[in-house]
Amino acid sequence: MTEAAAQKGATIGIRTAGIRTASGQTSRRRSQIIADFHLDIAFESLNKQGEELCGDRVEIVRQDDYVLAVLADGLGSGVKANILATLTSKIVATMLKAGAQLDEVVETVASTLPVCRERQIAYSTFSILQVFQTGQGYVVEFDNPSCVRLDKTRPVDLPAKQRVIAGKRIREYQFTLKAGDSIVLYSDGVVHAGVGKLLNMGWQRPEIKSFLARSVQKDSSAASISRILLTTVDCLYQGEPGDDATVLTLKACPRLPVTLMVGPPVDAAKDEWAVHELMQSPGKRIVCGGTTSQIVSRITRETLEVALDFPDPAVPPTGRIKGLDLVTEGIITLSRALEKMRQHAATSSLDRPSQQLQDGASQIAQILLEQATEVRFLVGRALNPAHQNPDLPLDLSLKLSVVSGMAEILRSQGKQVMIDYV
Amino acid sequence: MKTVYVCIGSACHVKGSYPVIAELTRLQDKTPPEHAYEIKAVFCLGHCTRAVSVRIDDGPVQTVSPSTVTEFHRSVLCADRS
Repeated sequence: MTEAAAQKGATIGIRTAGIRTASGQTSRRRSQIIADFHLDIAFESLNKQGEELCGDRVEIVRQDDYVLAVLADGLGSGVKANILATLTSKIVATMLKAGAQLDEVVETVASTLPVCRERQIAYSTFSILQVFQTGQGYVVEFDNPSCVRLDKTRPVDLPAKQRVIAGKRIREYQFTLKAGDSIVLYSDGVVHAGVGKLLNMGWQRPEIKSFLARSVQKDSSAASISRILLTTVDCLYQGEPGDDATVLTLKACPRLPVTLMVGPPVDAAKDEWAVHELMQSPGKRIVCGGTTSQIVSRITRETLEVALDFPDPAVPPTGRIKGLDLVTEGIITLSRALEKMRQHAATSSLDRPSQQLQDGASQIAQILLEQATEVRFLVGRALNPAHQNPDLPLDLSLKLSVVSGMAEILRSQGKQVMIDYV
Repeated sequence: MKTVYVCIGSACHVKGSYPVIAELTRLQDKTPPEHAYEIKAVFCLGHCTRAVSVRIDDGPVQTVSPSTVTEFHRSVLCADRS
């Protein structure tokens, strides 16, 4: 796709609904003046009981200055619904990204979807969400439940405009997110939760809103908001979902860069430069490694204090140096932190790292996963004397692989990661 | 009062800083007042190959292990010369 097309794509809001965000470059310049958010986006799906495939599909497109997401819910369930939803979300996302107008997109979807033999219709509902780094956003819905905006933690309704495109009645919303605000989109499987069983009328919008008001916390990530909602949907269905259910959340997070220094530079003459890089960096600063923290302490002339408590006996205690947010031991703590990050990324558990032990590894995992929007690793390649001890299963390559493992997880969450080897 | 520095760097941690600190803390109550000590954790004393490293005040770096810590307490920490 050409850059011109990408910039055109960035303007779907403008031509269809009149958002005054200019194309790529202009909005980047504006974003520096107005606001520059990290757009945290995540979704979760439940399959209808007994189905291997989900009839809801989410397609996310991340561009330099905006995020575009499509949530499609195919007619029926299982394979057929999955195909309809996949086609719809792919067509919508690809066409909008390439600069097509909404009308064309809707027409294309309508004329492309295969017709269901039983129902004689080709049908998939969809919601389109586009949010710029400035916080300006746009939602179009076709037959999906209305989205909910969260002002920090307070759910509110967005004013909608109705419009008919290609014979289909759609709803449009325009809004501007402030720091900490979210938009929550969901498929009708959420509203139908517990229908005819636990809840006569399903889980209706006012109840969903009051649930969100009670459950969402100020620091909840997009993933945890989606998860909280969907876990409750699963409970209301008593573990036997009667419909596919999907929640898609986008949160505008203030940017928080984190710099993590691990290991002394291979050339001791570079110590000063590396510490300077760390101390000059904006946001949060973490140092991992005994020798490394001593180097930082020596160069900054701030004392290094080490705590004597072990919140988790498997992880060495943390230290404190003025000007740093966290000081820990090196490879053991980092390996444990990576484990915790993997667990958190893989499981659907509601446990947030912040609620767990406050050992060094949990703190690293929490800062990197829940707070950081971009992470820079300063990796020193000096050999540690301990690494030459044949009794210890530690070596330099382990440290490097732990760092790249962390980078992979963070990148998969849409965070920018930079690794500098010194 | 003297200070016992116990290294909690990677190597020492693996070799048992945690039980060494736990034992030294437990033994504090059973130490005669004239031999009383304070325990501080420290990041890497630079003797990683001879973990667990400990140091009393500005003295030399010594090696203890979870199995020798009781002996270390009796013959070094509570010895008359220290």
